[in-house]
Amino acid sequence: MDRITREEIAQRLITLSPADETEVVVLSQAQALTRFTHENIHQNLRSDSTTVRVRVISERRCGVATTTVTDDAGLQLVLARALELAHLAPADPQWPGLPKPAPLEAAAENSFFASTAKATAERRADHVEDIFGVSEQHQLWGAGFVSTTASEVTVANSHGVLCSYEGSEALATVKQSGADATGYGECTSPNINAISGKNTASIAAAKASATAHPRAVEPGNWTVILEPVPFAELLSYLVGHFSAQAIDEGASFLTWDNLNKAHVDPNITLHDDWTHPLAPGMPFDFEGAPRQKLTLFRQGTAHDIVTDSRWAARLKRPNTGHALPAPNCYGPQPLSITIDPGTASLEELIASTERGLLISRFWYIRPVDERQTIVTGMTRDGTFLIENGQIKGGVHNLRFNQSIIGALKKATLGNTPTRTTGLDYTMVVPAVKLADFNFTSSTSF
Amino acid sequence: MDYRDEGALALNAALTHGAEYVEVRFEDESAQRIDVRNGEIETLADTRSGGYGIRALIGGAWGFAASADYSKASIERTAAQAVALARAASRVSRRPLAQKPSKAIIAHYSTPYTIDPASIGLEQRVRLLLAAEQALHSTPQVRVGRAFIDTRTITKNFFDSNGSQISQRILQTGSGLQAIAANDHDTQERGYPGDHGLFQTGGWEVVEAAQLSANAARIGEEASALLNAPQCPQGEFDLILGGSQVSLQIHESLGHAAELDRVLGWEASFSGTSFLSIEQLGKLQYGSPHVTVVIDNTLPGGFATVGFDDEGTPSRQEDLVRNGVLVGFETSRDTAHLLGRESNACVRTGGWQYIPMIRMCNLNLLPGQLSFDELFADVKYGIYMESNRSWSIDDRRLNFQFGCQIGWEIINGKRGRILKNPTYAGVTPQFWNACDAIANQDAWVAWGTPNCGKGEPMQTGRTTQAAAPARFRQIAIGVGYDG
Repeated sequence: MDRITREEIAQRLITLSPADETEVVVLSQAQALTRFTHENIHQNLRSDSTTVRVRVISERRCGVATTTVTDDAGLQLVLARALELAHLAPADPQWPGLPKPAPLEAAAENSFFASTAKATAERRADHVEDIFGVSEQHQLWGAGFVSTTASEVTVANSHGVLCSYEGSEALATVKQSGADATGYGECTSPNINAISGKNTASIAAAKASATAHPRAVEPGNWTVILEPVPFAELLSYLVGHFSAQAIDEGASFLTWDNLNKAHVDPNITLHDDWTHPLAPGMPFDFEGAPRQKLTLFRQGTAHDIVTDSRWAARLKRPNTGHALPAPNCYGPQPLSITIDPGTASLEELIASTERGLLISRFWYIRPVDERQTIVTGMTRDGTFLIENGQIKGGVHNLRFNQSIIGALKKATLGNTPTRTTGLDYTMVVPAVKLADFNFTSSTSF
Repeated sequence: MDYRDEGALALNAALTHGAEYVEVRFEDESAQRIDVRNGEIETLADTRSGGYGIRALIGGAWGFAASADYSKASIERTAAQAVALARAASRVSRRPLAQKPSKAIIAHYSTPYTIDPASIGLEQRVRLLLAAEQALHSTPQVRVGRAFIDTRTITKNFFDSNGSQISQRILQTGSGLQAIAANDHDTQERGYPGDHGLFQTGGWEVVEAAQLSANAARIGEEASALLNAPQCPQGEFDLILGGSQVSLQIHESLGHAAELDRVLGWEASFSGTSFLSIEQLGKLQYGSPHVTVVIDNTLPGGFATVGFDDEGTPSRQEDLVRNGVLVGFETSRDTAHLLGRESNACVRTGGWQYIPMIRMCNLNLLPGQLSFDELFADVKYGIYMESNRSWSIDDRRLNFQFGCQIGWEIINGKRGRILKNPTYAGVTPQFWNACDAIANQDAWVAWGTPNCGKGEPMQTGRTTQAAAPARFRQIAIGVGYDG
């Protein structure tokens, strides 16, 4: 749905609404994804959807209704339902009011590419055919997908907030599998012309080949080098700790007493920055408030935390503009994580390691103890033994139980910021070398 | 609305563009969610999502396109997109995969219920939640209390080019509590019922069965008691799991492993594969003879109970593990023929905009003979654990580690002091072969899971693993806090 239509829908609903305050969020997404396995495309799909979310507040009573029906009748109905819920809801004495208009920076020009949004099924299939060729050349079998997504957002409210954003993403992921080894590669960019299925498949194939005939290693404390993909996977279980809600609920390693204190290695400077050129994002949050660029760790010291309008009012802190679509139970969240790179190349990180493991990907990380930031998870798709500064082949996968904060207390960062995309994040991080990583069990594969 | 005209339009458009077979599924979902947090309404939201997905077959390959625009032009455009996607897939794919059905089905299914959720007003719902949430604050250590009710009605209208016309109306209902207690050094949580609530198909009677208010004070007290409880010891001990944790154990280390699409590598890039192979059918001793697991998408109250799956196959019962031996897989039409069998109707979607795929549906561990108390009698030293807190398993579904919210020490058959941070770990077949007792029907509950993730793009599945508490001998306990 184009920007003008989204904004017209939002303005029309605000005009129609008799509530004290009205907020409209219009989310539109066109996603196409070509998924393959064993040199077959087994799932090939396209989905177009628009969701209109209306939040109304009258006498501090709040109601929210959402619909995918965007014709006149559908829009009138969604507003009526929101009003009905608000009428029946108890008053919220702490209601802070919807955000007022504030100056916004413009989104980066490279956040949206029409070539990505308009990519055809045949173009994705061409990428996949290239991937199949690499798999067959290496006598492996591949699995993964090539996708293109256009995401469009408009946020408006009755105080005059009106902001819109368009973003695109192309993503190729490839897992190559051999008889006893697997390897993973991914490539992501707002621009489909920057994606190469063949290169991604080749990276994965090289890993799968290099980990063939993996050996068993003992669990225990290991020096590890995490490539950007697993580093981001690990960080994704930490960044929520900087939410004001998590701190207030006791679900964070941070407390109101240990902010502005050193927690991790001084090499670690962690930002929430939607302006990073590799991962341009929305200049505003889902309440239309400007997203501030924050530094969550500054040289190892906890610095900023993220808020939205509710938590800013509750804690009497500034609204940093990190609201998710309301209502939600997660509170404010950082969504544009970047880490300042170090100076060592990946090769130098490996060369400086007497004995350690190089990890390509993690799997199924879950919190064990939120407060202590202990998580468990597995390695997968390319785990290598390093001895005397050289890669000595693949090893069987291992399970870890590790405090993330503990792992980051001694960290050496790589020098290449890399964009990587997970289920619910896009981050820009380098590789990292961590001194002590606790593996508790191993597998036979 | 029966969507017959729109369905005919979609089928004709796809066939005109060259589809060899086509199906279209119209879905409308209406949901109401209420969350109360610390005495305030955190969420009061009404969600309506409607649209349709068209799946077309060409040359052994599928194409799928979805839209929420019901106009004639959009339906025709979406049908053409589905055909174009199938054609592109067929051009590149090395082998045909897709199977079309052989016969037409005309039928209707509706979830049975006792109390229509629509008859329960918003005020009554809010009043119930506020009272239950308030009762969670039974000690000063409870920092956060949460209570929720989630009710939804889903209508599905399925048409295919064989002439099938299947309509379904499905009611899904859930409710639950959470207490978070914290002090200067620790944070502990308790959920109820189970770890995240009780989710079943049915009406308001599902909320009443949860008995939120009657249990809230105890849950708050347990969360607070955990703050000062001793750490769960580390070692190999006998383990008794509460019913909801057994449900999760089935889900992660049996249900996902036995999805035939995983076994075939169709999920390799994301969710992973499986340690199982087709050749192990009828041979692998998956568990002890106490372990019998049945696929039953007809189970009353099962969260995945429907009349027909999302490719139009009627729900049925089929053994997955019989007396410990692997005898089946969860299948679709595209995969079941590889076993020489018919689909056992385990295909679901996460909504109108998603492609149909194999999902764990209702997968039930049949109850045993002992009462819940009798499970303890034969344990000299062990741990009883309840309600999941943490779950992780490798991408072949072998090496797992789970944490629970609360544990109790067992000494000479008696349940003793509370233990905090209980965890256990194992390898799937060894673990299930260590099962030597399952509690009886009195403790058997259809535990629903509302948030099972699978697929790319990720689809959220709703599933049940009905289970009773069970006993396992000499299991590795306390590993999560090792090192």
